[in-house]
Amino acid sequence: MEIYLPIAGMSINFFLVIGIGGMVGFLSGLFGVGGGFLLTPLMMMIGIPPAVAAASDSNQIVAAASSGAFAHWRLGNVDFKMGLVILAGGITGGTIGVQLVKILRAMGNFEFVMKVVYVLMLGLVGSAMFVESLRTIRRSKVEAETCAIAPSEPKLAKMFSKMPLKMNFHRSGLSTSAIFPFSIGTIVGVMAALLGVGGGFIMVPAMIYIIGMPTIAAIGTDLFQIVLTSANVTLQQAFVNKTVDLLLALILLGGSTIGAQFGAMAGKRLKGEQIRILLAVIVLALTVKLFLDLVLTPDDLVSLAPAKGGGH
Amino acid sequence: MTGLATILLALSLGLWCGGEARAITPEVQQKVVTAASKNLIEIGVSYRGDQIHFFGVNPVPGTDLIIRLTAEKDEELKLSVKGTVGPFWMTVKQYEVKGAPFMYKIHASKPIDQIISAATAQELEIGYPAIRQKMQMHLARGTAAPDDAEKVFTGLIKIKEKANLYNIVEDPKRLEVAEGKLFKHYFRFPPAASEGRYLVESFCFDQGQLVGYGKDVIEIKKVGLEHWLTDISQNQPVFFGIMAVVIAVGAGLLVGVIFGKGGHH
Repeated sequence: MEIYLPIAGMSINFFLVIGIGGMVGFLSGLFGVGGGFLLTPLMMMIGIPPAVAAASDSNQIVAAASSGAFAHWRLGNVDFKMGLVILAGGITGGTIGVQLVKILRAMGNFEFVMKVVYVLMLGLVGSAMFVESLRTIRRSKVEAETCAIAPSEPKLAKMFSKMPLKMNFHRSGLSTSAIFPFSIGTIVGVMAALLGVGGGFIMVPAMIYIIGMPTIAAIGTDLFQIVLTSANVTLQQAFVNKTVDLLLALILLGGSTIGAQFGAMAGKRLKGEQIRILLAVIVLALTVKLFLDLVLTPDDLVSLAPAKGGGH
Repeated sequence: MTGLATILLALSLGLWCGGEARAITPEVQQKVVTAASKNLIEIGVSYRGDQIHFFGVNPVPGTDLIIRLTAEKDEELKLSVKGTVGPFWMTVKQYEVKGAPFMYKIHASKPIDQIISAATAQELEIGYPAIRQKMQMHLARGTAAPDDAEKVFTGLIKIKEKANLYNIVEDPKRLEVAEGKLFKHYFRFPPAASEGRYLVESFCFDQGQLVGYGKDVIEIKKVGLEHWLTDISQNQPVFFGIMAVVIAVGAGLLVGVIFGKGGHH
């Protein structure tokens, strides 16, 4: 069954799109992460123009994150003050990012920059995850008796709390500088626009280990800021680059929602470190694929650049 | 060099036309009566391209036929050319290209160069060499190289052929002519063929001379949801953006309600 995507300007197999959405949803349900960083490259592999893939993925993330954000909000897990500081960064970064997309597309190097950032980011995250989970597996085998090592003292958290622009964050029970949350928000905002990701896999560890927030508040607050940062990116992409394919986003949402339910079920039967090492392998494989795209001689040396930034 | 080639082309064309240096005007030829299985293609949600069958009567039985499909308007394109920067392949220069048709397909009853001279082909814009002649390239960014024109032209043809927007078929099987008179064939319009008007022109040649001409107009347009989404996304982007976000939030919350415990992000 073919479906015509109005903004991508192409016809594509409906089941292929919903299947990819489902697969990514399954993985995100299994690993407890958003799937944005997997979804955009996969969309590109099936021929969706990179800019349309990233923008529509942001639109899909708004949907996928909103229900989670709502649930965490009801449970009182959202630190709104922290969320708003990060969001201020996220909106700044997202707005800059969308303009960057426009310039890079006109130069014909959007895809190149996107892949470079993906390779760096996925390579870093994938290797860190791989090493960490391998270490955990070894440790649990060798020293099954010894108790788990306490998480390292967040030295960075101490350092940041001494910086200027200090604010009190009651929900997280800490008092720290607003500089770091704003900065990380900005960086993740730029990435959200450039890559079509939510950025939870950077934001949550940063909130826990660098800002020093409690895990549950970090997750709730992250979802809150993801909804609004991605909403801003979606709006800006629609205004500036006209690359949001709503139809594509809704099909992906359908697939990922169903996939996530199965992923969550499967996740209960696997150990944490096994899951993480599996995700690390997937992430590293994707990194290698994208890296090869950058260095191998492309099939086509000449390609179309968008004349006026339109989606087609 | 190009100037000289143009003069030579003009001269040979002049000789061909019996010394008269005037343009070939297809419209004054005998009419090739044609009919299309339809003149309107509608792009709906399940659109996957379409094909249209054409039938026609050759006014001078036994003569050669060339049928050309083009988009009514030429495109203004920007083409990126990749090169290596260190170990990486990235866009190193860009060309602005004018005068290349958005879509260009030809069906001929035998190889074009056996039907008409290069000059006639040039004049009537039949065949890739004619497009190349008509196309104007302008370097927009980067440094020009001597083989750029060739590279950009073949690159463009490759992109277009891949999308099934260009092709040239010189095969009597693809263009059936019954008893030299009644002909039939079909053109495939790929999903990449966007909205607009397309011309299907039938040229009939007798020993290299144009003796008959006919024209059909095909229109492609988006309908229903596809039309609406394209229209508002391009013309009312603010409304479209807000709608996309509102629908996404609504869909996300609905999913949360259906599955009970929130999303997966």
